[in-house]
Amino acid sequence: MAAKALHVRHRAEQAAARLPPLMVHAERIAATVAQGVHGRRRVGQGETFWQFRRYEPGDTLQSIDWRQSAKTEHLFVRETEWEAAQSVWLWRDASGSMRYSSDRKHPEKAERSDILLLAMASLLVRGGERITLLDGSRPASGRAALENLALKLTADAGANSPLADSLPPFMALPRHGQLVLFGDFLSPLEDIEARFRRFAAQGVKAYVMQVLDPAEETLPFRGRTRFEGLEDEGRVLVKRVETVREDYHGRINDHIEGLRGLCRRIGWSYGLHRTDHSPESALLTAYMALSALLAR
Amino acid sequence: MLSLGAFAFASPWILWGLLSLPVIWWLLRITPPAPKLVRFPAIRLLFRLPQKEDTPVHTPLWLLLLRLLTAALVIVALAHPLHNPTAGATRSGPILLVIDNGWAAAQNWQSRIGYLSDLLDRAERERRGVVVLATAPTVSGEAPAPTKLLRAAQARQIVRAIRPAPWKSEPKAAAAAIGTLTLKDASVVWLNEGLESADAKALGAALAKIGPVTLVTDQAGALPLVLRPPKPQGGNLVARIERVGSSGARLVRIRALDDKGAVLANVPAQIPDGKRFADAVIELPAELRNRVVRLDLAGQRTAAGVVLVDERWRRRPVGIVAQRTIASGQPLLSELYYLERALGPYTELRRGPTRELLDRPIAVMILPDGATISADDRLRLEKWVRAGGLLLRFAGANLAEGDDALVPVKLRRGDRSVGGAMTWAKPLGLADFAAGSPFSGLTVPTDVRVSRQVLAEPSADLAAKTWARLADGTPLVTAERRGKGWLALIHTSANPEWSNLALSGLFVEMLRRMVALSQGIAGADARINLPPRRTLDGFGRPVRPPATAIAIAAAAFAKTVPGPRHPPGLYGTETIRRSLNLSPSIARLRAFASVPQGATQSFYKDARQTDFKPWLLAAALLLLILDTIIGLLMRGLLPLPGRAAAAVGVVALAAAAALPLLVAAPNAIAQDGSLDDQFAIKATSKTRLAYIRTGNAETDQVSLAAMRGLGAILRRRTSVEPGDPMAIDAENDELALFPMLYWPIVPGQTPPSEQAAARLNRFMRSGGILLIDLRDPAGQGSFDTIALRRALGGVRIPALAPVPRGHVLTKSFYLLQQFPGRWAGGTVWVQSGNQKVNDGVSQVVVGSNDWAGAWAVDASLRPMFPVVPGGSLQREHAFRTGINIVMFALTGNYKADQVHLPTIMRRLGQ
Repeated sequence: MAAKALHVRHRAEQAAARLPPLMVHAERIAATVAQGVHGRRRVGQGETFWQFRRYEPGDTLQSIDWRQSAKTEHLFVRETEWEAAQSVWLWRDASGSMRYSSDRKHPEKAERSDILLLAMASLLVRGGERITLLDGSRPASGRAALENLALKLTADAGANSPLADSLPPFMALPRHGQLVLFGDFLSPLEDIEARFRRFAAQGVKAYVMQVLDPAEETLPFRGRTRFEGLEDEGRVLVKRVETVREDYHGRINDHIEGLRGLCRRIGWSYGLHRTDHSPESALLTAYMALSALLAR
Repeated sequence: MLSLGAFAFASPWILWGLLSLPVIWWLLRITPPAPKLVRFPAIRLLFRLPQKEDTPVHTPLWLLLLRLLTAALVIVALAHPLHNPTAGATRSGPILLVIDNGWAAAQNWQSRIGYLSDLLDRAERERRGVVVLATAPTVSGEAPAPTKLLRAAQARQIVRAIRPAPWKSEPKAAAAAIGTLTLKDASVVWLNEGLESADAKALGAALAKIGPVTLVTDQAGALPLVLRPPKPQGGNLVARIERVGSSGARLVRIRALDDKGAVLANVPAQIPDGKRFADAVIELPAELRNRVVRLDLAGQRTAAGVVLVDERWRRRPVGIVAQRTIASGQPLLSELYYLERALGPYTELRRGPTRELLDRPIAVMILPDGATISADDRLRLEKWVRAGGLLLRFAGANLAEGDDALVPVKLRRGDRSVGGAMTWAKPLGLADFAAGSPFSGLTVPTDVRVSRQVLAEPSADLAAKTWARLADGTPLVTAERRGKGWLALIHTSANPEWSNLALSGLFVEMLRRMVALSQGIAGADARINLPPRRTLDGFGRPVRPPATAIAIAAAAFAKTVPGPRHPPGLYGTETIRRSLNLSPSIARLRAFASVPQGATQSFYKDARQTDFKPWLLAAALLLLILDTIIGLLMRGLLPLPGRAAAAVGVVALAAAAALPLLVAAPNAIAQDGSLDDQFAIKATSKTRLAYIRTGNAETDQVSLAAMRGLGAILRRRTSVEPGDPMAIDAENDELALFPMLYWPIVPGQTPPSEQAAARLNRFMRSGGILLIDLRDPAGQGSFDTIALRRALGGVRIPALAPVPRGHVLTKSFYLLQQFPGRWAGGTVWVQSGNQKVNDGVSQVVVGSNDWAGAWAVDASLRPMFPVVPGGSLQREHAFRTGINIVMFALTGNYKADQVHLPTIMRRLGQ
């Protein structure tokens, strides 16, 4: 028993050894973004005092701050800051197709997704939200949750885990649960729609960020080329890549637009990120969109 | 075989393959290249993508051309292209290969080997039989004979074994041998050695009968040169260099080598345009010339370009006994005149009294009749003859009248006159020389007449002693073996007084034979066999004689022509060396001109064929590799070159790191100095105080301590920094290495041996100073030089005197009036001033104050003995005395010069 515990701990430490650079990277991105966002400075349910305001008809009697009111002639209502801590489930695609980079200058899609996910988690933790990975675990808050999540992220890099699917695994989430999904979403649109609609049927809101390599958009290859998928999809021989490039552009655009439309239809947010672009801007967009979702 | 000028294809039909190139072109056009393999995540989107362009994938034109070139190269290579193909042998039957391998073939043997290799390659390709015939006799002396019909591979074995012979080829025998040959449809290839002769012509005719002849010869300029044996001319050797033909000037270098192969002379000789030969004059001092064993021509690789030099070419010292003054008024009557004229060109002549001549090694001594010798000289001469000298005497009036025992045969008193006013008989000529005589082989001129001679008493052994006779049988030259040497007498005079022999060329030849005899060439014993010692191979290199070479009888040596039985080289025994050279047997050189009828002629020089097949195939392979690399590049499969560069870098670094290890090989030098050397190094690496070991242990110990104490004081106070003191054994050690020796005299001391005394005397004479300490307080001031001399044995003590006032010893460092030691008051003696040996520096200082006792200190530099009468001042003065003495020894009278300083200053002041 002790030996097994030791083994587990050893594995954890191994994983943690890889963690710091990832965390540092993610934290740096998160910090950049956090400076540009100014919390949810508005009235809402919460513990922290926000402001006093003159009583208006319709306010409940319980909300009147009698002490403040006694100081003056008017009645004052004590308002607290909006502090509805929400649970956010995070997921990123860890399938084989994500381990791809067309150029050594760009990171792999998987790496970029991990960083974006961690940075997002970091931002959410700063905002006091409860976070967890979409793996059936319970959301938690605080730095511990963040580190826990990072550990799972790196430890679960192996295949055959529930996370190693190219689509988010379906599981029952509380109504109004928040979902953040990172992935290339290159699966057939029908599969994606079926999966998304199941989540949406639960009343879950989601932010979908499609992470693509530039080569997947432009198809920059030339000549006679045999393409091979990264997830054993099979092979295809293209006699002259130049001649099919236009058609491919049409297809990939259709796919992206289809995904965007799907998200719009089910009331989700959608973002597109290419690995040759900066992760900060992507994160900012995502965070803003997520904030809007959370505020609703 | 398809010929296109200098090019040819051995398998031309393969060239039809070039027609397939358009097909290859078409195939390459329609066959798309292998696709690149790309891993791509969005592959689903590529499925079922309509592929509009179905035309074959485009191969770049340059790549297409590259591949076509590769194919063309392979085809052309398989057609076996040759440059300079071996011509001739036009018929399809067997090839008769005639190889001249006489001496002349050696010069360009390498090109022959190349040609043969090409030809046999071709015979092998064309599966033709080969018959090989080498025209020189084999080493075992067999006449040239053709082989059986061989396959090319077998013929190659045989050809490989053929070597150029150091003797002449025998085309005549070869022609006879092929007369028996029957070959169908044969062609002949004749590798000619380039020399014309009737025999070669006959061989050519015989070959032409067998089939069409291809004659391969050297270019005229490449034919070998012949070096003729040198002739002495004055003090020089003159060697003639002959060539074939006479066109164009040619510069040749002739080298003279000694027995170790060192080049003693390297003389250029220019054969002018239009001349067949040139004479090279080799000027060498007699000593060097006598070391010459071999002359050869630089750049010549034949046996005829080498002349081995034996004793015949050496100048031997010949002494003529003569008084210093010559009657110069009538030189033509002087015997010396004729002897000098006859011997001068061949020998090194010396003239003088017997004694002087015998002081230096000398081979032949000539005693003319006019020379008078004392009885002493007579004994000396006799002794010298017995030791191996050759004494040659001439008859004359003195010998005829005198009673001289130093003659080989007993002589009758008086002389015999043949012809003259009072006789009927005419002056006699010479009989032919007998076979056993050293003169055998010389032709006797008919006009030589002897009119007077001395006669030998008839005796049993007279005939055996006679080397030459007159026509009537009376001995003219007699000789007798005495000990190891010879005593010879010519029974007539060395001037024309008694005969005109001295005027004839025969006189010169006879004298030369005599001189040659003195060196041990036993011409008299013609039965001696001269076995081969070192022979030349076909390239003129000295080699161990082949087993088939046999000895030559000395009598027949001069007539021997080099051949398989007697290859050119050095023959003889330990004492007798004769050289057998090839070049005298070679007649005048003429270029081969009698080309057989219908023969095609070619030359070796440009005949080497080049086979392009391997090169073309290699080029095709390279192109294939290039094509593969290009293909990999185009498909993006080539790993990045950075790694390869790094590997190269690592290798280079490793090599650079290993280099110093190789260079810094251990270089241990053994320090092998003898004991004497070590002693000398020890004595001279520092200035050392030394004392003479007396054998008395206590005294020696005190001396050592004293020298150490004095050394310490010297180091402290002066710039003299002596090393550790050394004990000297006067009997054995070298004394000259020390400036000063301290010599304590102990009671009862044995005087030094004669040898040691001689050493000490030499030491003093060469500037050393002997410090003698009598250590005797009792004898204060009371000893005399005689007594001291007795104690010192053979050591030569000069006259002594007490140290005078103002002596250098009193001021060489400190100003001193006394020289106390352990005792005070004893007189110190130095060489008395009037002796001007060693620049006035005293060779010896003698005292009795036991200085060593005062100087001696223990290990902690405390004095070992008290001084008497005592006081630190006395010890201080004792040390000052020591310092002064050392300074005196090191600087001599340097301080004495200052004696004159006041005077000099006074003069300058005025």
